Amino acid sequence: MGVLAALIIKDIRQLVRDPKTMFMVLLMPILVMAMFVAGYGGSGGEVPIAIVDLDGGKVSWQLIDSLINFGDFEVKYYPATPEEGEMLVRHGDVYATLIIPKGFSKDVLLGRRTTVDLVLDSSYAHISELVWEALNAAVQGFQEKVSESYGTFSIKVNRRTVYGPQVTRVENFVPVVMGILLHLVPMSLIAVSISRERERRTFEQLVVTPINSWDIVISKLLAYAFITISDMILTLWISVEFFNVKVKGSFFDLLFVSGLMLLCSLSIGLLISVMSKNQLQAYQMAIFFFIPSMLFTGFFTPVELLSKEVRIVGKLLPLYYFLRTFRNIQLRGWTLLESLHEVSVLFFETLLFLLLSIKLLKLRVE
Amino acid sequence: MNYAIEAIDLTKYFGSFKAVDGINISVQEGEIFGLLGPNGAGKTTTIRMILGLLKPSAGSIKVFGIDVSRNRKAVLKITGYMPQRFSLYEDLTTEENLKLFASLYGLSGRKVDERVSELLEEFQLKEFRYRLAGKLSGGTKQRLALAVALVHEPRLLIVDEPTAGVDPPIRRYFWEYFRKLRKDGVTMLVTTHYMDEAENCDRLALMNRGRIVASGSPSSIKKLAYGGDIVELHTERKALVYLKSFDGVKKILEEESSNGSLKVKILVDDASDRLVPLVKTLEDNGIKVYRARQVFVSLEDAFIKLTVGG
Repeated sequence: MGVLAALIIKDIRQLVRDPKTMFMVLLMPILVMAMFVAGYGGSGGEVPIAIVDLDGGKVSWQLIDSLINFGDFEVKYYPATPEEGEMLVRHGDVYATLIIPKGFSKDVLLGRRTTVDLVLDSSYAHISELVWEALNAAVQGFQEKVSESYGTFSIKVNRRTVYGPQVTRVENFVPVVMGILLHLVPMSLIAVSISRERERRTFEQLVVTPINSWDIVISKLLAYAFITISDMILTLWISVEFFNVKVKGSFFDLLFVSGLMLLCSLSIGLLISVMSKNQLQAYQMAIFFFIPSMLFTGFFTPVELLSKEVRIVGKLLPLYYFLRTFRNIQLRGWTLLESLHEVSVLFFETLLFLLLSIKLLKLRVE
Repeated sequence: MNYAIEAIDLTKYFGSFKAVDGINISVQEGEIFGLLGPNGAGKTTTIRMILGLLKPSAGSIKVFGIDVSRNRKAVLKITGYMPQRFSLYEDLTTEENLKLFASLYGLSGRKVDERVSELLEEFQLKEFRYRLAGKLSGGTKQRLALAVALVHEPRLLIVDEPTAGVDPPIRRYFWEYFRKLRKDGVTMLVTTHYMDEAENCDRLALMNRGRIVASGSPSSIKKLAYGGDIVELHTERKALVYLKSFDGVKKILEEESSNGSLKVKILVDDASDRLVPLVKTLEDNGIKVYRARQVFVSLEDAFIKLTVGG
């Protein structure tokens, strides 16, 4: 028993004497909880929707009112025509458009069955489902409340989708997998690789050859970019061939934005390697940086369901822009140009991290 | 005079700690120069400044006339380095390591293969060609490290503690190889804290606490430490008088007399000058000399004397 105790104590000692790792091991769960609560605990955000009121009557106003009061929605636009309303959903300006048909108020007052149309975005299936359920509940709630004054009537919510057919769960999961593959994996791989060279002192022999420090940095970037992109292509191919995943947009567009995300992740990995003394720290740090991305960029949960403060953080992270662009291309069939905003932000963030990391790494290699 | 390495007032501070304190070293082309001293003396720091891995706090360092701080690349092209600890890629094979560094030093295409074959042959690494470097034994690792350091046929080879923790047969192998390199005109800077190895060098510099305590050939350093050479005589008691007054004899260090015979250790200014005339003088005066020889003083003793004042 004494032997075990001695060894256990040794390992604990070693861990305690590595403050960076200690910080991440102990504080990380606390920080993650805090982040989680901040993001998910408070009141969620409001989902932007649009309402096309073709009726304009008293009852439709009441319906709109009650929806706003329901709290989960923010009626951002009141387009004049259903076509405009649908365009807004297609463009991603709103997640759903409710179309109240002409004659709605009259039908309700006469106790007839009425329908309203709800245009949903299939490509954001998760949130679409939530909007669908919430809106249904809101409408039913309205129905019950108002039936006291108007007598019985019923409102049926008609479901229409854009970017259908229904996106499968697997298809929805592909961007998530790509997020891991193109963010966490390259970030940790390159950080660990550089830390390993530093730990094993192989850097010493490299640095006395007449090569530039540029060469070292660029070669690492390219090597890991090559490996990861190959992996990505393989994964995508397997998904399409064997798991029935459909990619609506151009494969090359996907490749482009993936390559961009990859470069961004690799640059962040370089930065991590500058800050880490050894492989363990590098790996921990990579995971540590991945967690906010995982929680706040729409990785698992739509950004709109998070609290406002956290949404701001999410929108600073490159993964947010990558996921949106990837989803736009894969699930909506958009082109890169249509996602220009997201692609540009990703591009600038990549450039920023790349320049920063190269500058800092060059100094370190001295 | 073409100096392979010329360090002038070379200084390095780490914060407030003076690791290297204004040293001056001149290594001539084609010699084996030893940089000696205990751990922490500043040897490795000095080497790193020669290789341009560290910027000197003050002073200058030139390799074959090239200022290291201005043109580091040019220096690295003609310099080979074998560091203290094995620093090659353990997850690459012997051959892969050699090929990698051949490329990094600018060899291309067929030349790489040719040079690698040469080196595998030269350093008896052929049978380990496809073995991962991490799986090699200590001595083989060192041979590989030396091969890599020489892959580009450098004019200057810097070796940091080549034989630390290495068996005697391999130690001997290395020093034989260094002598061969010297014959080929390669200049070598070797650091070691094994004083007995330092005897192999043409010239030495002894470092202690960032300063050069003594420099010169091994024999001149020993002279410096003791103030001369030590000579041992086994002769007759009568000799003592002559010894005391003999020109060049500085001090009687030890004497032991019994039954009219005398064993004595004396300090002379220069053994090669004084020993033969001394013996002749004694014999001319009818005193028998049974034995006369120069006592071998180890560099270790000399060094301790110089640093501690033993």
